[in-house]
Amino acid sequence: MLRFVIKRLILAIPTLWAVLTTVFVLVRVVPGDPTIAILGDQASEGARAELRDKLGLSKPILAQYVDFMSQILTGDLGRSLSTNRPIADDVLAVLPYTIELTLAALVVGTVLGVPLGVLAAKNRNGFADWFARIFSLAGVSFPAFVSGILLLLVFAVELRWFPVISSANAADPVERLRALVLPALNLGLLMVAYVTRVTRSGMLKALSEDYVRTARAKGLPYRTVVWRHAFRNVLVPIVTVVGLYLGVLIGNAVLTEIVFNRPGIGKLIVTALNQRDYSLLQGLMVVSAFAIVLANILTDLTYGLVDPRVKTQ
Amino acid sequence: MKRHIIAATAAAFLMGVALPASAESVLTVGMAAADIGQLDPHRATTTQDKPVVSWMFNGLVRFKPGSSSLEELEPDLAESWDKSADGLTWTFKLRKGVKFHGDWGEMTADDVVYSLKRAADSKTSSFASDYAAVAAIEAVDPSTVKIVLKQPIPALLGIVANYHGGNIVSKKAAEAIGPDFKTKPVGTGPFALVEYKSNESLTFVANKAYFRGAPKIDKIVYRFIPADASRDLAFTSGELDVVYGRQDQRWVERFKKEPNVVVEVVQPSELSLFHLNRAMKPLDDLRVRQAIAYAVDSKQMVAFKGAATALPPVSVIPTGYLGTDEKAKLYPFDPAKAKALLAEAGYPNGVAIKVLQTSLPTMLNSMQILQAQLKTVGIDLQMEVVDHQSWHAQIRKDLSGANYYSAARFPVADVYLKQFFHSSATVLKPTAVTNFSHCDVADKEIDEASVAVDPVKQKELWYIAQKKIIEDVCAVPLFEQLQVWARHTNVDYGYQFKGAIHLGPVITEATTKK
Repeated sequence: MLRFVIKRLILAIPTLWAVLTTVFVLVRVVPGDPTIAILGDQASEGARAELRDKLGLSKPILAQYVDFMSQILTGDLGRSLSTNRPIADDVLAVLPYTIELTLAALVVGTVLGVPLGVLAAKNRNGFADWFARIFSLAGVSFPAFVSGILLLLVFAVELRWFPVISSANAADPVERLRALVLPALNLGLLMVAYVTRVTRSGMLKALSEDYVRTARAKGLPYRTVVWRHAFRNVLVPIVTVVGLYLGVLIGNAVLTEIVFNRPGIGKLIVTALNQRDYSLLQGLMVVSAFAIVLANILTDLTYGLVDPRVKTQ
Repeated sequence: MKRHIIAATAAAFLMGVALPASAESVLTVGMAAADIGQLDPHRATTTQDKPVVSWMFNGLVRFKPGSSSLEELEPDLAESWDKSADGLTWTFKLRKGVKFHGDWGEMTADDVVYSLKRAADSKTSSFASDYAAVAAIEAVDPSTVKIVLKQPIPALLGIVANYHGGNIVSKKAAEAIGPDFKTKPVGTGPFALVEYKSNESLTFVANKAYFRGAPKIDKIVYRFIPADASRDLAFTSGELDVVYGRQDQRWVERFKKEPNVVVEVVQPSELSLFHLNRAMKPLDDLRVRQAIAYAVDSKQMVAFKGAATALPPVSVIPTGYLGTDEKAKLYPFDPAKAKALLAEAGYPNGVAIKVLQTSLPTMLNSMQILQAQLKTVGIDLQMEVVDHQSWHAQIRKDLSGANYYSAARFPVADVYLKQFFHSSATVLKPTAVTNFSHCDVADKEIDEASVAVDPVKQKELWYIAQKKIIEDVCAVPLFEQLQVWARHTNVDYGYQFKGAIHLGPVITEATTKK
């Protein structure tokens, strides 16, 4: 298993390199000038040129690229152009928020999505099935900022169960957990939808297989057949969806982070983009790309846990 | 039984019954931005930066809290001052015993000299050009500072006020902290920064040693909430005490109806100008520019924006600035005349103008009205909509046929005229600021006015400058917009909030929250 992980990590190097090069080129192709965010709109062109020199932005692109890559190779993410703070500090400050939101959404997605999908498949065309289908359609098509505002209106402003500003009392663990509920529901909603769909279709297929009929014929209780025989075979596609989603979630969380006013990687990326903070943007891309690679490795390892056939291969 | 315990725990958890009662007076302010721009007072230019700078710093003189008028300046770090007969030498007597935040010691003339020199240096300041006329700044003794000018300037007190470059920083701190000063600023104001969480919040604590007395508010949390809807909800739910409002009629009306909420619409106004690129066809022709001036209906613009926050423009400088002159008549709305002028210029079937436009929604929708107004006389405004940062960069490369720009500046005609209409500020030049129109018709008057000793003569020169700029149609004024803030009634700023030179309320030692 260790060999597998190492192999995958080595394979990830070209991916990371390609992502970084693309980001490096893209941020420079897009028009924009970091000095406007730093100096404001009343500074003279001369002062801007001076700052560009100081930040190394007037060097040839190739020289900037070499600087950037050699810096990354030494494990240093550099400093933000606009705040001059070490990028690693900024990332580490928000990373716990991103991880906690991602995991919480994942839990919401699986805990609600899997049973709903199984229930729908068991009662095909019944009430539960219709409910699951409508719910998952709504989940996929509802934009996160709309569902987020609705959740806030009902549970934070009207009922006052949860705070509007998620990060207000982050030091108190109970408060922090309370503040996580709505954002996790909001982000998890989309995942519930996907997981329900995959589980339902997988279960429908599994329930019509011969071995299920055999199990039923030999007199096993329906419940055992569903969960022990059929469901275990649906786990692989579920894990695939969850794994895929885990990677995407980091970027997708941005709308939820903005609406619920939570710090996070997604929100930081948007800020960096708005300020044309090239170095911060590049640093964040390194982290995000790495997170996605890691999520994929974890997914692959999970296959081995849920399906013994994968392990023996 | 077990089930009951779980239910009770869950209920307690949901209702948050365990909220600790605290005697600390904490003021929470919500701002419409993702993060701070700059906290170094000599670099801070954005709307989100300016209010907080005013909580942390003092100048030699200050704008009276709640005012944005240069006529209401009052002593701040300086107790008194006098000027020589020729207006070139100014001597300031400093207040004694003023302490900087933390352990940075007492404020002396050295700090003042250091700060003003720092503000005058383009390597450390965005406002260096404001100090171009300063010949020397020196400490006479630890509590006396002398400023010598090469020539008189319109408002010397303005550049030593608690605004932009006039903010006094601790010399020792600025030198010791270096480039990090922008996230670790040290001043003498009523509040000191204790924590900066990027993309999230700033926390300030009361400066108990503040020279006007210890502040009644113990702590300020300044939250960045870029999403309008979330910010409004947080204000409604009471999680914010003070909120940055939207310059929008419906917003103002909605919150005015809420119980326990006070909405304040304050000066200074931002003027929206449509700068016409005189160096590019077809706007190099005066008749086409005049046609645009006649085709713009600013009454309709104001009606669209809403009378609660918008005003009709009076000149090419915002209302209420020192030197703004309503006598410099703007073109009346006259579409027939606009059409005639276009025909005369050789465009009887209309003309197209290509412009770059930011995708920022409030700016884009104003531009869409302008587009519709111009369409009725046959001018086709072809917008290329790009994101805000790209737009900022591209308009400075002289790539747009015309340019819609909205700005408030230091309230003296001199600043607005120099940045937007003096030829030295023309885009692409090394001295460029924001002259997008290549305007050069009033250079002489602008220069003369800025060194005029006689205030009457000075106002006359500013009037001629405005008249010439309007006649040549370097820019067409569209509308003005005031600043909007809201607070819950339990917050009392300690003064009447009528003007916000810092674009937000100044939280002073007298501000209270019940």
